[in-house]
Amino acid sequence: MSQPSLAPFIRSRPWLKRWMVPFANWYASAQGYRKLGLRADDLIPEENDTVQLALKRLPPKEAYDRVFRLRRAFQASLSHQLLPPEEHTKPEEDIAYLSPIITEIEAENQERDDLEEMFVPKRKQVAASVKKSH
Amino acid sequence: MMLSRSSISRSCTRALQRHCVCRRTQIRSLAAAASGSFQYETGEEAGVKYASRDLPGPTTTLTVVAKAGTRYQAQPGFSDALEKFAFKSTTRRSAVRMIREVELLGGDLSAYHSRENLVIRAKFLREDLAYFTELLADVISKTKYAPHELNEQVVRVMKLGQKNLLANPSHLAINSAHGLAFHRGLGTPLYPTSSTTFSKYLEAEEIYNFALSAYSKSNIAVVANGTSQSELSKWVREFFEDAYTGGRKLESPPSKYYGGEERIAHDKGNVMVIAFPGSSSFTSGSSWKPEIGVLAALLGGQSSIKWTPGFSLLAKAASQHQHAHISTQNHGYSDAGLLAVTVTGTASHVGKASHSVVEALKKIASGDVSGEDIKKATALAKFQALETGQDINAGLEATGSGLITGGKAYQIDEIGQAIDKVGEDKVKAAAKSLLDTKATVSTVGDLFALPYAEDIGLKI
Repeated sequence: MSQPSLAPFIRSRPWLKRWMVPFANWYASAQGYRKLGLRADDLIPEENDTVQLALKRLPPKEAYDRVFRLRRAFQASLSHQLLPPEEHTKPEEDIAYLSPIITEIEAENQERDDLEEMFVPKRKQVAASVKKSH
Repeated sequence: MMLSRSSISRSCTRALQRHCVCRRTQIRSLAAAASGSFQYETGEEAGVKYASRDLPGPTTTLTVVAKAGTRYQAQPGFSDALEKFAFKSTTRRSAVRMIREVELLGGDLSAYHSRENLVIRAKFLREDLAYFTELLADVISKTKYAPHELNEQVVRVMKLGQKNLLANPSHLAINSAHGLAFHRGLGTPLYPTSSTTFSKYLEAEEIYNFALSAYSKSNIAVVANGTSQSELSKWVREFFEDAYTGGRKLESPPSKYYGGEERIAHDKGNVMVIAFPGSSSFTSGSSWKPEIGVLAALLGGQSSIKWTPGFSLLAKAASQHQHAHISTQNHGYSDAGLLAVTVTGTASHVGKASHSVVEALKKIASGDVSGEDIKKATALAKFQALETGQDINAGLEATGSGLITGGKAYQIDEIGQAIDKVGEDKVKAAAKSLLDTKATVSTVGDLFALPYAEDIGLKI
């Protein structure tokens, strides 16, 4: 699922962005997933219908690479090792490959809910008269 | 909430226009009824050809006919895929929104493809013409062809179509007969027959490229029934401006008749299709042979009246083999046709009835038919041709394909006259020439019991 994010707020303010970017870069590498060869989008919990559908919609190459990264990270984690530095995810490789698809699916579902929801208001007079008769 | 603000304002302006549109159509419809004309008026706006026929009535049928049937598809299954992609998400609205909007207005959307054409059709109330013209323009020029829609929806429906074809002996036989008669082009099956289509050829990107050619302005025609020419031309000019231009031109070599025999084992029924080179459709112009229509009616097989086999030769023959049904149809295309006699039923009766098909043809060729029967057949052929023209859907497709190829619209009056002129000797000559050519025989079912083409006296 896509999470709430401050990023759009910050990105729309250049002065704030200039101030935040170094901190954000430091924070991203401090999280440690890059040292296991993962990307940020690999960490999105996948145990729900939306993300499952998004995973199905990945192009075959992307899906294969994702599984490879996850298995390599599991292996590294089990053996209590970090990957050698040349295999770390580089900041420019750490791209959002899955979250745009998730956003799209959420928008689709939202639209479907909006269009299929039919709101039938209770008529006030009838409700009042029913109450009176009792 | 349901409709965006822009679409609300649009529908408001349309509601304002509605009054004057209604008044004008009423005047028109009276005039049309008085003149009693079924003629199409044709024109061209924004590079798109269109035709309309102002039949009086409260509803309109609007179609976009594209010359992109299975004959012209770039790779197997593409026409089918393009048809299934109709009314999927476009860059302007999602598939769900499209359906909900149409539900609000009351209307009916559908799409189908034949061997030569891909038809996208909307039926709706007369006053909603502007909305539905925009919708169809949207579908042909702004569909996204998203890979996930292909994989999740289009392919699923296509596979059902494939199963339907493979499970139905009649469909299988008629597709096989076309394959034998024309090999490629017209011989391509209407729905994919093998799963190679799905595993090897279908890709969203490629389908988009095919759509660029299939829906390019020179390759489509807009045909409407139940709307005035001026209304249609106005909305076509406004909404079809953005339709694709250019694109690779879809080509198919001129059809050539081959013929041959194919036998397919099947356990769901027994069908024999015995076919000969027939007549192309009326809109093709010179290669249309009215005598083939009369011959088809004379062979017949199904009675048009109750409780009697009727006059047609094959209906009389079929009444002796009660578990066999015979029907004759000329499948007309733009440059060729296939006159096909279909025999269905139990294996033994189909075998016997197929003998009588050949006997009937020989009888006609030798002139052993009464003049009265030929007169009846001429009347029936004329009725059937005119009824097809009047039938809204068939007429729309025929007119559209006629417009695209630069021929004529389906003008009913001329057809009637041409069929009236067919004489007895012409029908006999047609039957004789059929027997001289190589036949096409496609047999599906219990192959142990069903005869070979040689056995029933046909040359292969």
